[in-house]
Amino acid sequence: MIDKIQAKAKELLERGQVSCFIGYEEGTRRKVRPAFIYEPQDVDRLIWDERCTYNLAVYLHQFKSPLKRGEEPPRVGILVKPCDSRSLNVLFHEEQIERKRVYIVGLTCEGVKVNGQLQERCQRCSERVPLVYDLLVGEEPNEVGQENYADVARLEGMSPGERLAFWVREFERCIRCYACRQACPACYCFECVAEQLDPLWMGIAIDLPQKQFFHVMRAYHLAGRCSGCNACEEACPTGIPLSLLNRKIAKEVEALFGYRTGQDAETPPPLATFKKEEELPL
Amino acid sequence: MMKVTTKDNLTAWLDKLARGYTLIAPKAIEEQIFYKPVARSSEIVFDFAKADLPVKEYFLPSTHVILSIERQEEGIRVEEPSLEGERVIFALRPCDARALRVLDALFLEEEPADPYYAERRERTTLIGLACREMGEECFCTSLGLAPDDASDVDLMLTEIEEEYAVQVVTEKGKAILGDLVLEKVEGTPPRPTLREEKMPILEAEAWPQHFDHVYWARLADRCLSCRLCTYVCPTCRCFDVRDYETPNRDIERLRAWDSCLAESYRRIAGGYNPRPTKVQRLRNRFYCKFCYYPKDFGPIACVGCGRCIAKCPVNVDIVEVLEGMAVL
Repeated sequence: MIDKIQAKAKELLERGQVSCFIGYEEGTRRKVRPAFIYEPQDVDRLIWDERCTYNLAVYLHQFKSPLKRGEEPPRVGILVKPCDSRSLNVLFHEEQIERKRVYIVGLTCEGVKVNGQLQERCQRCSERVPLVYDLLVGEEPNEVGQENYADVARLEGMSPGERLAFWVREFERCIRCYACRQACPACYCFECVAEQLDPLWMGIAIDLPQKQFFHVMRAYHLAGRCSGCNACEEACPTGIPLSLLNRKIAKEVEALFGYRTGQDAETPPPLATFKKEEELPL
Repeated sequence: MMKVTTKDNLTAWLDKLARGYTLIAPKAIEEQIFYKPVARSSEIVFDFAKADLPVKEYFLPSTHVILSIERQEEGIRVEEPSLEGERVIFALRPCDARALRVLDALFLEEEPADPYYAERRERTTLIGLACREMGEECFCTSLGLAPDDASDVDLMLTEIEEEYAVQVVTEKGKAILGDLVLEKVEGTPPRPTLREEKMPILEAEAWPQHFDHVYWARLADRCLSCRLCTYVCPTCRCFDVRDYETPNRDIERLRAWDSCLAESYRRIAGGYNPRPTKVQRLRNRFYCKFCYYPKDFGPIACVGCGRCIAKCPVNVDIVEVLEGMAVL
């Protein structure tokens, strides 16, 4: 697979079809990290294996403006897994980046691992082929998982008091470093509500009320927009299970609107839509 | 000769300490280790490599009301809350202790001293616990310290199988010793294995010539521009101070952590931002640590704890950067 990826990246760069190819490379200490390839001779840095958890779509935001003043924004090549491709559809739909400016190398995926463990999200993933791509690399795996929201159901089974206690215990460890937000392709506001000065929604305090407000607010803003890539949770330095919040909302959105994030670039997400005749089964 | 105590004696002593002091010690929370106030020694984790967060929080709190102004029938009442009681931090690693010395250079040794930091430093006794070995991301030896360095704590402990060697370093350390049962034995505490190789660290004067090198742009490509590395760092010390109205219309003056990695950090009145790109912000973190801070205050603002390396979500590795700088 990697030969095909490298060859395509090389071709795109050589022909000037993209200014940069975003993929994965070997980092330090046996870690994998995002790679930004600008020159054709550097494509052999690219790798693809089960450690490639990052959702690279987050980096498209830094290519939205021209590299040099007066020029068009650059075209970029990007490597995406099926989950990441759903983030791309969100960004296309929200007009964050034009489809024609991105060359997508889609990867079929058998799941990715963190510390040698197949991620839970991958065990229940039913999407093994990206939903949007220009070139598809790899064979479609035979085995697919099935979503059952068992983890969300566990939380739903708690009493409101127990649930609050659970989240307070988790959020207490938050240090408001915003790694979750910064790792998220769908969090791209110029000024986040959490840092807005006028109007002032929340101050600079790193206390429980601010942490709770921030995480709940972020989860709501991701309703129908979260692709479940888990980048937030993996970025968190104190191990807060942020995906549980996002998954709860994804489950509700699916039940209420029959909508799953990023299936295509055309269907608007429910919270960005208003239908006068719509009645919700609430 | 060294003085040793058994684990049972140590825990009994800690239990007693916890009654007179706020005892802050490593505690396990959801598979991570944090320094937290403990009521008894049974809550303490003795077998750990390094806490996930440093003890910075106890000297420069992430959030701190430094002044409150209360409306009264006539006029106002101004209050500066002060720290209650005395504190002991147990099982501090040498790197985290050295980090406090680094912070002292700015907060205590510069005029005027920071009164909030000074108060917390004054009223805290530090009990060090030598590392058994250097962790994978550790590089303290490259920064002139060692995993069993006792020079920045008040009392130093070293594990010897089931016992602990106890070394009194300062008067403060002696004062809390109380009735800890100590036995004199022959020999010296065992030394941890030190890693041979040392990171090449560029002199502060040599950094400015690399300021505009494309190295920073390529490094910053993958930086997410979050604040993680600065908040898990024991020596990053930036803060912001703002006044807020409370729901009952009193005023609080709040000091909270800030980070040079944040887009808003350098934004000034009128909205202008002299450090608008993430390349500039990420570069600043390294220049602050190895060029500006040593020039302005003396010590390098890094102790080699490796937390930023372990925690960075996108593998920005400070050791790789130092190696990269040395060969530019």
